This record gives sequence, structure tokens and C-alpha cells, in this order.
Amino acid sequence: MKGFLAGLKLEMRIIRSGPDALLPLFTAPLFTIIFLAIVRNGGRHDLQPDALMAPVLMTLWWFALFQGGNLITGDRWQGILEWALAAPTGFASVILGRVAAIMAFGFIGFFEVWGVGELVFGVGIPFEHPLELVLTIVATMFAMAGTAVVFAALFVLTRNAYTFTNSASFPFYVLGGVFVPIAILPGWIQPLSSVIFMSWSADLLRGSLKPEHIHDFWGRLGMVILLGAVSFAIGRAVLALVLRRMRVTGELATA
Amino acid sequence: MPGPAVAVEEVTRVFEPRRKRDARVVALDRVSLEIPQGEIHGLLGPNGAGKTTLVKILSTVLVPTSGRARVLGHDVVEEAREVRPIIGIVFGGERGLYWRLTGRQNLEYWGALYRLSGGETRRRAQQLLERVGLLDKADERVEQYSRGMKQRLHLARGLVGDAKVLFLDEPTTGMDPLAAREFRNLIGELKGEGRTILLATHDMVEAENVCNRVTLIDRGTILATESPRSLGRVISRFQRIDVEGADQELLTRLRTLPGVQAISETDGSARIEVAEEGATGAVLKLLVDAGVTSVKTSLPSLEEVYVHLIGDRGLEI
Amino acid sequence: MTALASTANVMRHAFAAGIADYRAIFTWRSWVFGWMVRVVAQVSFFGLIGLRVADDRSAFYLLIGNALAVAAQAGIFSLNMTTTERWAGTLPLLVASPTSPVIVFASRGAYLAVDGALSAVLAIFIAGPLFGLHLPWPRVLAVIPLTGLVALSAYCLGTFLAGLVFRFREINGLVVNTTYVGLMAACGVNVPLSYYPQAIEWLAHGLPLTNGLLAIREVFQGDAVGSILGHAGAEALVGAAWLTLALLTFNRLASRGRLDGSLDYGA
Repeated sequence: MKGFLAGLKLEMRIIRSGPDALLPLFTAPLFTIIFLAIVRNGGRHDLQPDALMAPVLMTLWWFALFQGGNLITGDRWQGILEWALAAPTGFASVILGRVAAIMAFGFIGFFEVWGVGELVFGVGIPFEHPLELVLTIVATMFAMAGTAVVFAALFVLTRNAYTFTNSASFPFYVLGGVFVPIAILPGWIQPLSSVIFMSWSADLLRGSLKPEHIHDFWGRLGMVILLGAVSFAIGRAVLALVLRRMRVTGELATA
Repeated sequence: MPGPAVAVEEVTRVFEPRRKRDARVVALDRVSLEIPQGEIHGLLGPNGAGKTTLVKILSTVLVPTSGRARVLGHDVVEEAREVRPIIGIVFGGERGLYWRLTGRQNLEYWGALYRLSGGETRRRAQQLLERVGLLDKADERVEQYSRGMKQRLHLARGLVGDAKVLFLDEPTTGMDPLAAREFRNLIGELKGEGRTILLATHDMVEAENVCNRVTLIDRGTILATESPRSLGRVISRFQRIDVEGADQELLTRLRTLPGVQAISETDGSARIEVAEEGATGAVLKLLVDAGVTSVKTSLPSLEEVYVHLIGDRGLEI
Repeated sequence: MTALASTANVMRHAFAAGIADYRAIFTWRSWVFGWMVRVVAQVSFFGLIGLRVADDRSAFYLLIGNALAVAAQAGIFSLNMTTTERWAGTLPLLVASPTSPVIVFASRGAYLAVDGALSAVLAIFIAGPLFGLHLPWPRVLAVIPLTGLVALSAYCLGTFLAGLVFRFREINGLVVNTTYVGLMAACGVNVPLSYYPQAIEWLAHGLPLTNGLLAIREVFQGDAVGSILGHAGAEALVGAAWLTLALLTFNRLASRGRLDGSLDYGA
């Protein structure tokens, strides 16, 4: 528990100390404007909820990918990793705390999007199914956190983490149905998309903002949670593997 | 609690190459060492000797390829969890701190990692900042600290868990002499508190001044364990004096002095090597009496010390 | 050497240095499977939105707009030149040298404009057919130089911004991303310029991408060559204006940096 809190506090301080970590919070309003402008210009006011939820997901994803992914490699680069491993507190709990802080910041995106929608276009978030919305958001953040852990562990293994960060945004937005539901994508992509929790989350988020009844809510929510749990499990396993390997090969200090 | 603070038995550490064509590196080769509780033990060696590797193994960050090591009775591999809370690690250099956070924030983070409660963390951080003389800079970002300040923060961080056993890896590298001296005083204080310290360094003078015993290591092998006095004797025995403007007559007279081993000349300057305690004094006196004042003395290099020490030892055996 | 020849020489070397840096980050494999996959995905993301909102025409509109946005995006990355220089510790050395830093930066990052243009053109030629976009040969080839123009003009804006932020270390990434997403919002990429209030439309014409994009849309529509050239000329003018601004302000900012010590040798 101590490790979790220590990590939480650390990451909050790190993020607050440098504006560049908050990058997605600067672009979220702009994307909100872009998406809302597109749907309104096309006369599709029924798609406004879609336009609002897309930047929320994009912001969370960016935080998980970039801030989360670089958790361990950043420490390694700063020469801190070895000594963090030598500390009595479990390394995994510190990572979880840091990921939690990252997700908390990511969630600010939700309020930004809401605010910009209201201020610029007079479009609010329609809380048609508030309970379902809240549950979906919580489950989504859980799954995002799990993904962040996977990224944190994987980035240590690859030399090209930087290129991956750049490439892992829009492909995932397409496959994850962040704006356009995956049902519209070609048939052969669908199986791939259904493994990405975002596709389920995005559908549920959009659904909870529309008046119609949400079909099979609990089943689909369950998928988000399941995929999130799988991410955590994979992340934890890869992390343990990576750390053990580093202890044995001695490759802690440099990439 | 009796028993040594640190016990290293035949530890070997080999690094396998990443690519086929690189060589494998034997960083440590059957190293054995014992440090009783309360001792400041120096680990003296040039860069690449294996000092940092040994420190990493003892701090549970690296696994030995073979052999065992124990800290206060706990095996560093099998019982890493028990070892971690009782050790403190300090190393020199620029890296190892969150540069965007303040000194205080860094300390509080490590305090939390060493299982201190919130209040304790703040108190301990305050105490340590005061102790290492960083209180007035405590709330500035580490990225603005000078080298010496970072090093002091490293020491504070090493002490945050109030460890009984401390590993210091080249803590005074790059420090100016004044700062280094203050640092050494601090280490002396720590010893007075009953802590055991392993100090890895390539600075002989530091090793001589601070340690109870010094182990010499080179290329992964332990060469000898000496008392600082013998070390100091070697250091002062094999000094050299560089002179400008001494004429041939003077140099010939110098050659006849007892203890003067060799004189080499280049372009108007001469280097006088001595091999006996006290010889330096006689040489200097002669030079000054002759009116030559452009004089510089220097100590032998670590390699030379090794050669002399080990060479002597070789003769003894 | 004459001043012109030595400047050209500097540019040549700086350009080569830039390419070397680039090679260090990207192998052809990572460029194709990393970068290009992202670019095609980015363009397709918006193309799909077009399909969802309306129909094919909408999809093509968004597709072309966002492909050009990629060209502009890469151009804006030139802003990061100062960071690279700073980390290499070469910034103060550069300022101390006889050559104007602007010329060095401008040439060093020029590969980015090339990369941007190439990515954008490839995106159109790959994603276009996927969405059933009809590519009107041979006039579609005009898209290539026009895209290059957009990339270059965005690059000039990036260079100007580099001068502005160069004294503040930590906001590079922020400014780069906010700028290019801002361009995506304002420059007729996703919605026509007429959608926004008049003031924004005016502002947009002074930014890179806007005019070039209009020219390219006209190429696809088969509009008159005169109109296309007009827009292209405007784009070139905009780029030149930003570059001039960069030249003017950069030197002043560098000297300010010398005064307040923000140029250091270490990181």
C-alpha cells in the first residue's frame, strides 16, 4: 500500500512539474472542436455524442501510452531504476500507483471536452443513462491502466519505443472504434478490434449518451473489465520477466 | 548481533555479450571478502575493476553468476527481500535523481519506498537535508543543483532508511576538494554511529584517510587487503618531484641522495622519482637551498601503488 | 569562398547532418511499418468519419484534408530542431559561430519537409483507393509539388516558432502538437473555411496549409489552372513570410539568450 501511495504521489509531482506531460489536455479541446464541427457541418446532430466521446478516449489512451509507457524507461534513463529495484517496497505496487495518477490526469480530459462542447458549440453531454456512463468510465479507466502497465513493461524490451509511441495512436483509434463503431469496418478487421477493449468501451460510452436502450450492457461491460484484467495480468507477467532478466543480465543501466 | 556485516564467498560475475562477436566480460572472478560490523571498508581499484559490480550484487540489484554473498546474515539472492530494508546505497554522479522534483520531494519519495510513514518521511527528510547541508536548497529542483549538491543528496537518500550497512560507490567523484573533505567527515560521523560502510573508490588518498581497512581490486580479482597505514606508506614512499631550471650539477648531486631512484629529463625540466620515506624532504631541501623554487610534487598513480604493494607482497611470499 | 557559396556549403552539410539523425531514428522498416501505418491510419480515421457522417464525398474531403495535414505536421516538427541542438550541447557553439543559426536550423531540418510531403502523397495514393477515391490521372501528379509546397511552408512556420520557444526548454512538444492540431482545426482540413467566423478564415489564410490545400482540392475537382496557381502562389507567399519572420526574430532571440544565460553547454 505504501508503495502504491508513494508511486501515486511521485507521478503527480512529476506530471505537475512539467507542462509537456499534460500535452493531451491541450489538444483535447482542439479535437473536440474538430469533431463537433465535422458532425454539425454535416447536419448530423445525432452524432454529437460520438464526437464528444472520441477525444475523451483519445486523451486517456495518450496518457496510458506515452506517460505510462515511459514509466520504466524514463527511470532507467535517469539512472534511477536500479535503485528503485533495491528498495524494500515492491516495485509493482509503485508502478500501479504511478499508473493510477496518470489515469487521474487523463480523466481531466472528460471535463475539458464537456466544457469545450458547452462553451464553443453550446453542446453538452447528454446524460441519458448516467449509471451506465459512470460504470463504463470506471471500467474503461481500469482497462486503460492495465494497458499502461503492459506498455510500461514492453517499452523496456524494445529499443524503438519512441517510434511505437508515435505509431500506436491512430491505428488504435481506428481499430478501437474510437469515433466510428467497428461495425462499419471491413469484416476481416472485426476480430482484431474485438480484442481491443476500446471498441467495447467506445460503443458503451456512445450508447449511454443516446436515448435508446443499451443492448446487453452487462455483457459488454464485462468484456471491458475482462480485457482490462487480461492486460494487467500480461503487464504484470512481462514486468516480472523483464525485471528478472535485467537482474541476471545486468542490463539495468542502459538500453 | 555477532557475525560479519558483509560476507562475500567466491563470487563470480560474468557478462555475456549481446552480439556474438563481442567478448564476454568477467567482471568479478571468485571474489571473497568479509567486513565486520562497524568497519569502514575501502574497495580500491581503477575504473572497470569490478567495484560497482560488487556493490550492485550486494545491493540485490544484480545476481552473481556463482558464489554467495550475505549482508547481515541474509543471502542477497535468496533473501533479497530481507536485505533491502537494511541497506543504504549511495553512489556518485549526475544520474539517479528525479531532476524535475525538488531535493525534498526526491527524499520523501525514497523515504516512502523505505516504508516510512508520511510524517516520518517528512521528518527524516528534514533531518537529512540539514545533516548534509542542503536545507536552503531543499525546495529547488534537482536539475539546478551543482554536482556536489547532487552528491550530498545521494548521501541523504542512502541514509533515508537509517540503514545499518551502507554501500558508497565513488561518492566523491567530481567533487571539489573542500566538498569532498566535508563529505568524508560525514562518513566518519556515520561510522561513529555504528554503521558498516563499504566505500568503493579509485581515490587512494580518500581510501587511506577514511577507511579502517582497504581491499585492492583489479580486473575482477582481489589483490590484497591492507591497512590504510601500509597504503599510506606506499603512497608517500613513491612520490615524484617535477623540477624546472635545475642545472646538471644540481641533478647529479640529487642523484646521490639516498632514496632517489631515478631522474629523467625533458627540455629543461626534470622528474625525480623517490623510493623511500623521507627522501622527498631531503630532495626538496636541496632544491630550495640551491635556489630552485619551480617545484611540484605528486603522488604515484594507483597502478604504481599496486605494483609496489603487490610486488612487495610477492617478495614476502 | 563567396558568401553565397559558403552559405550553400553550410546548408548542404546541415542537411546531411539532419538526414543522418533521421536515419538513426528510422530504419526503412520502422518508417514503413511504424510511421506510414500511423499516417494511413490517421487519414483513414477521418475518412471513416466522413463515411459515417455522410457519404463518399465527405470521406474524400476529410481524407485529402488530413493527408495534407500530415505534411504540415511533419513540417512543424522542425520546431524540435532547437531541442536536438540543445541536448547535443551544440546550441551555444552554433550561436558563437559566424554562420547565422537560422540557416543551419533551416537546412538541418529540411529533411522533415521532404518526409512530410512523401508521407502525405503516399497516404493519398494508398488510402484514397481504399475508400474508392478516384485519382484523376495525369493531373493528380500536380498534388506532389503542391504537397511539397505545403510541407515547406509549414516548415517555415515551425522554424519561426522554434525561435520563439527556444529559451523555454520544456514546452517544445506542447507547442508542436498544439500547433499542428490547431492547423487541423482552422485551415479547412476537416470543415470548409466558411464554417468558421470570418476572423478565423482570415487568420487561416495567413497560416500554412490553408491555401495549398485549396489548390489541391481544386486539382481533384478539375478546376482552372489559374485558380490553382493562385492558391499555390499564396501558399508560397505565406511560407516566405514566416521564414522572413524567423530570420528577423531568431537573431534577436539568440542574443537575448546570450544575455540571460539560457544557452548552456550541458543539457
